[in-house]
Amino acid sequence: MDKLASLLHTSPAIAWMVAKLVIVFGGVFSLAALWTWVERRGAAMIQDRIGPNRAALFGKIKIIGLAQPLADGIKFFFKEDLVPNDANKGLFWLAPFLALVPALMGFAVIPFGRSFVSGGHEYHMALLDPGNGMGLLYPLAIGGMAVYGVLVAAWSSNNKWAILGGMRSSATMVSYEIGMSLAVVTIFMTAGGYDPSEVIKAQGHLPWAWNIVRQPLGFIVFFTCMFAETNRLPFDFAEGESEIVAGFNTEYGSMKFSLLALSEYCHLMTASALIATLYFGGWQVPFMQNPPVMLSVASFLVKMLFFAWVFVWIRWTLPRFRYDQLMHLGWKAMLPMSMVNLVFHAWRMSQGH
Amino acid sequence: MGVVVKKVELSWLDRTYVWPVMKGMGITLRHFFRQLFTPTAKRYTIQYPDMKKEMPEGYRGLHELKRFEDGAIKCVACFMCQEACPARCISIEAEEFSDLNITQGFEEKRPAKFSIDMLRCIYCGMCEEACPKDAIWLRKDYEVAAYDRLAMQYGKWDLMNTYAKADGKENISEDPTPSVPRRTIAL
Repeated sequence: MDKLASLLHTSPAIAWMVAKLVIVFGGVFSLAALWTWVERRGAAMIQDRIGPNRAALFGKIKIIGLAQPLADGIKFFFKEDLVPNDANKGLFWLAPFLALVPALMGFAVIPFGRSFVSGGHEYHMALLDPGNGMGLLYPLAIGGMAVYGVLVAAWSSNNKWAILGGMRSSATMVSYEIGMSLAVVTIFMTAGGYDPSEVIKAQGHLPWAWNIVRQPLGFIVFFTCMFAETNRLPFDFAEGESEIVAGFNTEYGSMKFSLLALSEYCHLMTASALIATLYFGGWQVPFMQNPPVMLSVASFLVKMLFFAWVFVWIRWTLPRFRYDQLMHLGWKAMLPMSMVNLVFHAWRMSQGH
Repeated sequence: MGVVVKKVELSWLDRTYVWPVMKGMGITLRHFFRQLFTPTAKRYTIQYPDMKKEMPEGYRGLHELKRFEDGAIKCVACFMCQEACPARCISIEAEEFSDLNITQGFEEKRPAKFSIDMLRCIYCGMCEEACPKDAIWLRKDYEVAAYDRLAMQYGKWDLMNTYAKADGKENISEDPTPSVPRRTIAL
């Protein structure tokens, strides 16, 4: 890293920052694009179909349809970009970015590997170094911002169906955010800090000391709320073909639609990274005190991608909820459960465990 | 009198919702892996241009005008199929065999033109039923399409050659002189 930095006439810190930026945002973005393919292909396999397997590079190289996201991207780029006459043009343009940027930004504090020391500098495997004072409050706050993308997209397109989708989605977000926050607060309490590196350190390298074992109830609440946060089935109330045409993105087409769709997958990636960090020990490798850096990154990636796959898996297993069932679940089940979780762990801590 | 519908009593385990979800996920995962490890040829999906479905017995597809072993057409231009056709897509013009006649054991008539309008044909199989000589068959080819309407007018030679490749026969474009008598005539 030092040599690379001196080659580029910058300090190692800046070079490392740029490298992290490229790797994290590029990586999350391309994983999100890839996950559109994984989603379609996984859905097909679950339903005994085959799925997109024909897109080929140069019409020759077929690698099980992996070129599909590329083909989709090219197609979306060259579609006509329509803006409805009565839409609020500024907000209509802004909405896809409002949806995409928070989805990507949430990833910034999550450590994706063990910090290491090289040439007298300490390098942290997260965009924001630990001890920045925001910690895991930051992805939660940013995650709350994500609903603006959906709501602004819905409102600006001046379409009744769209606004219905947007309103439903924001109501979902509000109801589930509370349960989720309480579940996370419990983790902050037991870990003794809200910095992700502290949360990971508190979990240690033994799988039975991870938060999933310590707080299974909290995990269920957090996991369920993540589905509502990412607006995915079984809680995808922003959309609904049978009820409100296409939902919040009814009026969107071309690359703007693509960005809205991609933001969902970016959000999914961030959510699974959060789950891995909070409940599955982040970059910790099971039964290894100080894992090599690359191994810790691999461990984190495996956990994150597994949960990203679980998102897909659950989507094609469960039917959707009805809206009142969703509210019932959010306020009468998730909130009390996380409350019980919080009080139970507070009591245990007061007993000196 | 109404029917009393008994509601299914859920056990406490089912009411937690977590266990049923996990059961459901088990089912979908089983399907996923089964499909993942099934070779392409054995999957339910037939990937059409690469793989083709073998049609069942009795499928009524593209017609073939049958020939004898020596290549001569079986059809005797009796117009039965033309009359039977509900879509009126068959049109036949008959002609005489030049010098062969019934006393030598040969048919005396044959179609000079035999055309089927594939755009009108409904593949009902009536022509096959009506034919006294078993000369027209509806077989298993279902890829009947063309870029223009004229190409969908199948003539006599088209109909005789439709399955030539599948059966490993030569394409023919003129009636060979029949050499084997169709029946022995006791004079």
